[in-house]
Amino acid sequence: MRDSRLNGFLFLLGLLGVWELVAEAGWVNPLIVPPFSKILSSFFSLIESGQIPWQILASLKRSVVGYLLAAAIFIPLGVLMGLFDAFHRGLEVIIEMLRPIPPPVVVPVAMLFFGLEDEMKIFVICFSCAWPILLNTIDGVRNIDRVLLDTARTFGLSRQRIMWRVIVPACSPQIMTGLRVSLPIMLILVVISEMVGSTDGIGYFILDSQRRFKVAQMYAGMLALAILGYGLNQLFNLLSRLLLPWHERKVD
Amino acid sequence: MNDSRTFNWSGWLALALLLFMWEYGSRLNPKLQLYIPSISQILVTLGQLISSGQVTAHLLITLRRFVEGYLLAAVVGVSVGVILGYFRFAHSLLEMLIEFLRPMPSVAIIPVAILLLGIGDSMITAVTVYASMWPILVNTIDGVRYIERTLVDTGRTFGLSRPRILWHVILPAASRYIVTGLRVSLSIALILVTTAEMIVGSQGLGFFILDEERSLHSSAMYAGIILVALLGYCLNRLFLLLENRGMKWRRGMIAREAI
Repeated sequence: MRDSRLNGFLFLLGLLGVWELVAEAGWVNPLIVPPFSKILSSFFSLIESGQIPWQILASLKRSVVGYLLAAAIFIPLGVLMGLFDAFHRGLEVIIEMLRPIPPPVVVPVAMLFFGLEDEMKIFVICFSCAWPILLNTIDGVRNIDRVLLDTARTFGLSRQRIMWRVIVPACSPQIMTGLRVSLPIMLILVVISEMVGSTDGIGYFILDSQRRFKVAQMYAGMLALAILGYGLNQLFNLLSRLLLPWHERKVD
Repeated sequence: MNDSRTFNWSGWLALALLLFMWEYGSRLNPKLQLYIPSISQILVTLGQLISSGQVTAHLLITLRRFVEGYLLAAVVGVSVGVILGYFRFAHSLLEMLIEFLRPMPSVAIIPVAILLLGIGDSMITAVTVYASMWPILVNTIDGVRYIERTLVDTGRTFGLSRPRILWHVILPAASRYIVTGLRVSLSIALILVTTAEMIVGSQGLGFFILDEERSLHSSAMYAGIILVALLGYCLNRLFLLLENRGMKWRRGMIAREAI
């Protein structure tokens, strides 16, 4: 298995090498595809100057708030809907009406209400992350093994204790799944909302660099974004292992 | 999905109540009407836009871009996925590359695409293909990789040629994964098309919605959103329909061959 990783790594290096040669030789328009070395140096100088960290922070700030807001609203809602069927049926139609709306088209609505401020992006992210979180939470609660609940009742546990000692742990893995699925959605939507209406953030930075034809910078921004995505994933996995140590998860 | 055959009275009532509150909340607050026009206003605007054909053009443009991007992504994703799923070596080569490209949100590719392809249809189709390809590719690779060797070996024992093994063994066995990938990509493709249209401003529903917002024609904006949601809904239903047909055909094929 280590063999295959080495293969992949070498192949990647090979590709980068070819890129470098091809770009240096001028076979591709260096204005559109600069040499990788140039992109890397642009990347590091942007980090040094603080530009990239600043933009990443701006994006993170708004995206995390939107994400956590979605969790704070839709996990409890999902639990309620999962536990009380009447409640679920009541909200079902409204949710099914809102779900087919592709998240990006909410951006203009948010812009109407909030202009180009952070609130706009927070609104968009909250809306977009809502569905995976909500639906997974509902699923998780509904699929709790009846035996667990009955056992708890047999032991005479109070409603409160059943809630926190049985229900919450039992549906946490599924809730985690919803949160995990929403993570890339959060990232995608913060980039979209920044590209359509913003004055800062990594998404804005990438688009702006393209508009000014600062091509190496644009790619550097994309690199930063990929690293951010990777980092958030790793962070999430770490938190997931810490919070739910008992639950073994299939490795992606 | 409805898990009960009875009509969801409470659900529709809740929706009606919400719409009612919206309608009268908006009428009673004329100041709000810029942000939240009344439902009746939105619907009237929607009717006008459709009958005047204004929005139909945008709808068709978006639909065309979607279909082009999605189908191309499906073809590329499934073919490359089958190859990578089947040939371990090829997969091991590209695995790291895929690992690195995956965490980057596919929308970030839009500026690059603008540089390479300008702001026209080909750019929008290209980014749609790029983004939609990933779920299909990854799911196809997984689906093909986890096929039991026995199945393929049985095929070979029977002297089936490579193409026949592909069609009669590999694709059916991996079909569930492939279909999952195709379903996920459906939403992604629509997202990318509308996003690209918003960023580049070259016609289409995405552009329309943003443009109406900029001109503060909020009714038209909401009307556009309703249309795009309907589009997404119809595409999903269509997909489910085809999926059911496909599964029936698959089941029929398996049944026939079992006899």
